[in-house]
Amino acid sequence: MTSRWRLLSVMGVMALMFSACSGGGATTSPSAAASGAPSAAPSEAASPSTAPSEAAAPVTITWYHIQNNDPGLSLWKALADEYMAAHPNVKIDIQVNENEAFKTKLTTLLQQGDVPDLFQTWGGGGLRQQVEAGLVKDITADIASWKDTINPGALGMYQVDGKNYGIPFDLGLVGFWYNTKSFTDAGITTPPKTWDEFLTTVQTLKAKGITPIALAGKDTWTGAFYWAYLAVRNAGQAGMEKAVVSGDWSDPAFVKAGEQFKQLIDLKPFQKGFLAAPWDGAGSGAAAMATYNGAMQLMGQWLPGTVNANSGGSRAMGEGLGWFPFPAVEGAAGDPFDGLGGGNGFAVGKDAPPETVDFLHYLVSLDAANRWGALNSGILPTTNGSEASTTDPMLSLVLEGRAKAKFVQLYLDQATTPELGGAINEAVATLYAGTGTPESVAQAINAAAGQ
Amino acid sequence: MATDVGSSSRTGRNLRAWGVAGLFMLPALALYALFVLFPIVQAARFSLFDWNGLEALDKFIGLANFERALADPVFLGAVSHNAFIVILSLAVQIPFALGLALMLNRKFRGRAILRLIFFAPYVIAEVITAIVWSLLLQPNGLAEHLLTAIGLEDAYSPWLADTDTVLIALFFIITWKYFGFHMILLLAGLQGIPREIEEAAAIDGASRWQGIRYVTLPLLGPTIRVSVFLSIIGSLQLFDLVWVTTRGGPVNFSNTMAVYMFDRGFVRFQFGYGSAVAVILFLICFVLALAYQRWVLRRDTEGATTYG
Amino acid sequence: MAEPTTVREAVAVVDRRAGPGARVRVRRIAGSVLRYGVLLAVTAVIVIPVVYAVLSGFRDAPQLAANPVGLPNPWVWTNYTDSLMSASFWVQLRNSAVVAGLSTVVVVLFAALAAFVIARREFPGRELAYTVFTLGLLFPATVAILPLLILVRDLGLLDNPLGLALPEAAFGLPLTIIILRPFFRSIPKELEDAAALDGCGPLGFFFRILLPLSRPALVTVAVLAIVASWNQFLLPLVMLSDAGNWTLPLGVTNFSTQYTTDTARIVAYTSLAIVPALAFYLVAERQLVGGLTGGSVKG
Repeated sequence: MTSRWRLLSVMGVMALMFSACSGGGATTSPSAAASGAPSAAPSEAASPSTAPSEAAAPVTITWYHIQNNDPGLSLWKALADEYMAAHPNVKIDIQVNENEAFKTKLTTLLQQGDVPDLFQTWGGGGLRQQVEAGLVKDITADIASWKDTINPGALGMYQVDGKNYGIPFDLGLVGFWYNTKSFTDAGITTPPKTWDEFLTTVQTLKAKGITPIALAGKDTWTGAFYWAYLAVRNAGQAGMEKAVVSGDWSDPAFVKAGEQFKQLIDLKPFQKGFLAAPWDGAGSGAAAMATYNGAMQLMGQWLPGTVNANSGGSRAMGEGLGWFPFPAVEGAAGDPFDGLGGGNGFAVGKDAPPETVDFLHYLVSLDAANRWGALNSGILPTTNGSEASTTDPMLSLVLEGRAKAKFVQLYLDQATTPELGGAINEAVATLYAGTGTPESVAQAINAAAGQ
Repeated sequence: MATDVGSSSRTGRNLRAWGVAGLFMLPALALYALFVLFPIVQAARFSLFDWNGLEALDKFIGLANFERALADPVFLGAVSHNAFIVILSLAVQIPFALGLALMLNRKFRGRAILRLIFFAPYVIAEVITAIVWSLLLQPNGLAEHLLTAIGLEDAYSPWLADTDTVLIALFFIITWKYFGFHMILLLAGLQGIPREIEEAAAIDGASRWQGIRYVTLPLLGPTIRVSVFLSIIGSLQLFDLVWVTTRGGPVNFSNTMAVYMFDRGFVRFQFGYGSAVAVILFLICFVLALAYQRWVLRRDTEGATTYG
Repeated sequence: MAEPTTVREAVAVVDRRAGPGARVRVRRIAGSVLRYGVLLAVTAVIVIPVVYAVLSGFRDAPQLAANPVGLPNPWVWTNYTDSLMSASFWVQLRNSAVVAGLSTVVVVLFAALAAFVIARREFPGRELAYTVFTLGLLFPATVAILPLLILVRDLGLLDNPLGLALPEAAFGLPLTIIILRPFFRSIPKELEDAAALDGCGPLGFFFRILLPLSRPALVTVAVLAIVASWNQFLLPLVMLSDAGNWTLPLGVTNFSTQYTTDTARIVAYTSLAIVPALAFYLVAERQLVGGLTGGSVKG
């Protein structure tokens, strides 16, 4: 940018900041949320002006999060209000966006140089890109005093080169959800523990005329879960970390993963029309499972909510659902309890005021985490000691699995760069669409990583 | 001959013409240069860099992005899909819209309602189109039920989920959505043809079909040619509907150039590469547009027959 | 008379019995039946998805999932009523209307002015100007979003309807000019000469004669501009922050979250959103029917 443009952009940013300041208090973007709830107009912050004893200068924190519906929406707001009440000089400007819209919005904000003070991040390669562009604050020193309160595995996902750039508030695990009725109908009494047992289970279901697996082929990240888990099993923690960090995906373990996935695909276990099924909504994989048109689905911890929403009212939350962890692969290098998962966290912008980290600490305090757990909304808090607050039996199963896992691999399209992540999803899709081979998949991924 | 008798010299007349023309065009040109040309030129600049959108714009790589795109089978596949859609659009969409426009041009009861209904798909947002059609075409959806009801159960297959049929199914949805655009354009053109001419032809003994073929269609020529042009360009730039319906899938079998560009450029954070794809798309459209302007639209600009 | 043994004889018998011109009449009736049959089939294919969309708004997501094809059962009114009763819907509606109105007025006026001279005046570089205007149609606008955003921000027009309307109008110029040009060309020169004789300059001719005569074309481009602005999503997303400025397409995103999508709610909301655009089309459509009165044009 020429210096003239730079001046203009600085003025533009300042103009933006001033307008944000004059907004007064926390403004939550109203959402036409849950049915029956009238939308909230921008709320007034009741904080009085600074008391004479407080010499602290007024500070504004812009906060972007994606929990755009209740209950999360209200909980975040409540926490912000509480913090502002305790720190009258701090104003928190909340901007809420839906997941996909947020990604676009953040990209343009970052490109303009308007880095929010506190914003949603999923860690991994996406965060790394932002760090390398110098947009995120290194908070290693700031959190030193309390970082042990956070689940270390989750915290690791928000580190870049050993330094902390983000704090998680949620970590879930991908596992197999299944319709208990379908299993009973097929005479299956225990969920499979190894991959071979799993394949047998699929065949048993198929023989009884039950569609074994619901897959959302249109959203390629769902199919990639299978390949990723098999990769984690075959390559183990060491192999996965090496590949993700170095960009070298030539390990034969990755071809093996493809071969094993192909064994499953060859059994033709998916529901009719799966290649066009989105993961949620009408015609989705979730709907298929809800209507017993798919006995099992490899999915994250949010599935019960989606199945409930898609079930025609016939299934309460979690009703008739069971969960078992991804089976072990006999003879593979990886620990059989290793997991694949991911969650949400917050990163701090490079120009954020110091109060931001303190506010962030409040957001992931044990009390806040317990309140999140109690909502049973699918957010599984990562603050140590908060596990008991999650009472939903389904979610508790997932938490158990997470606790057993010594290593949790972040979803591959998050752990690597967006570029490679997209390539991985696409390559794996060729396997279940029938246009690729295990070798071609590994090659494509390696080639994309080398770019 | 806009200028009146004032200046006799040729330059004087040219200046005059430019003066009036310039003034009239100024608002449009200013707005356009600022909000369209300037950003486009900037964006085209990105294509020469390896840029992930976040770091500084400093990794100059020349034409490497272009080479990469032209060598990528996924991109080339997208180009072929676009070509396919262009051809189908010209063969199917335009005649269809024309036929409907002709039918809706005659007075009959309920014409206004029909025009509204036929235009409605164009107004509906792409997202809803995708949702509704996905619901209609999915297994156990309306299409399957209807076919079963008339005994053609075997004719159904989940077309959007099959790599062999997804592009055609997508084209069907595209036609549903966009034919209304061409229809109202052609209707507007038909409005400009006075009744008397058609009546005169009828008096002269022409059948309805002959009247259409020899009188109406030629007079509608300029509008048809514009419609065809817009159809070609629109087919090449196709993005929104494809993105929300299939995202170019399954496995890139319904990919278009613009979808490829958005996926690689925005979603995968390779803005330099995405810009390069955009420039390639632009060049393809540009060449076609120039050729079209020169050979097809030329007769409309010549001014001999239709101007007055 | 012998019984007819060939088709030709049979037809001849029918002809004689039915009277002269019968065959033509039958053909005409058959033609009408065919025409109406085609029209009916086409209408069905076009209408069913639209009706389906509207009806789906009366079901809830579980119904849609369980039985995609059924009628609403029970009829869920809340999707529609909640939207109609939520203040944010009306705010977004107003914002969408303001932006659409602004951008349409600007684009139609500016484009008409430009198309007028491009269509009817000889001047050096005319074809070049036309080509330059068409360029905007050939470049996928999404790529230009970032430089555009920086520009709008530097102009201080973020979170401002003008910041949306002006770029939308600018990007609508190519299409509008392309459509208007042949229409403007078809107005006979004689009218212009006659106007000049009456002392009317080009501007006067433009406003008093050309524009009124071009009503079908103007209405068409206005409708197209409104629809384009109404459904714009990317531009408002990146240019608006304050939810009080959101347009309707942005409002729809609130029915999706990180993990769920309320399809029925989305469908209901969007079905409501298209009503104003369709209403405008109905009103505008009257103008299309008006058209040219005979005689004033062909001298």
